[in-house]
Amino acid sequence: MRSVVHPRGPASVTANLTPMIDMTFLLIVFFVLVSQITDRQRVRMDLPRPRDPATMRQRDEQRTVINVVPAEDGAVAAIRVGGDDFPADPDGFASLRQELERQYRENPAVRMNLRADRRIRYRSIEPVMRSVTEAAQAAGVLPRVNLVVERKD
Amino acid sequence: MAARTAGSSRTIRRGPGGTLGVNMTPMIDVVFLLLIYFMVATDFVVTEEIYRLDLPQRLGSGAPDDPFELERDPVRIGVHTTGPEPEDYALDLTGPWPQPTTFEELLAFLQRNLIRDEGSGLFPRDHPILVAPDPDTGWEHAVEAFSTAVRAGYVNVQFVPTS
Repeated sequence: MRSVVHPRGPASVTANLTPMIDMTFLLIVFFVLVSQITDRQRVRMDLPRPRDPATMRQRDEQRTVINVVPAEDGAVAAIRVGGDDFPADPDGFASLRQELERQYRENPAVRMNLRADRRIRYRSIEPVMRSVTEAAQAAGVLPRVNLVVERKD
Repeated sequence: MAARTAGSSRTIRRGPGGTLGVNMTPMIDVVFLLLIYFMVATDFVVTEEIYRLDLPQRLGSGAPDDPFELERDPVRIGVHTTGPEPEDYALDLTGPWPQPTTFEELLAFLQRNLIRDEGSGLFPRDHPILVAPDPDTGWEHAVEAFSTAVRAGYVNVQFVPTS
């Protein structure tokens, strides 16, 4: 609608949507990648929930997550380190020991985060801790382990 | 400004400069829906915390790594799972101590016997505490026993191998 003051009509204000769409796609890619990285490190399981635990938050340090994946009746389906699965048998523990020794040699200060389901029997956890100890001894470093638990809030 | 092409009933909209425009609104709607989905589906809540466990050179021996340090009789806590529920467990202490029936009683025993500044107590903070689960003990009960010793203020708490 033209007027004397604005002979070409009212100004049309348009917003450039291109940067907003770029940012939105970046956010989507971020969330997709984060969810994939989290799933590789944190296998879903029921961790122990001790009462009033004197735990500490994870510090920003080099760590390797050892997931003891549960099967039925407190048995172990596999032991997952990074993207690799090791069976819970003597050959699997030997391979696990080799892998952990390799990681200790690469980074002597690395800590092993042990995540195990609360239903797993101790007889299945103890060989994993033994593998960590033997791998550290073979690499000539101290075996440092973090027991991961869920905090009841 | 609308223009009509010959032989077509469609109306092609052209901008002031004669450029073609694409309606971005549906794409933006879909993009925001995807973003909201991923924000809701991604779990950022951190509820996991850790106990630091420095395994000794000799797993579960309770013996000091320094060969010149005198060995002290460790406090050995036996943990047994007796049923499927979290409350189904039994504890036993090796030695002339009153036997705790719950983790709270174990905590009270350990705290009572911790040597503090006043001089009372039996065990120093670095006294070896061995957690000895049965092979069939659930990991939850084993960790609870470990947690109880750490809560009581002891810093030298280890797991004992089953063999």
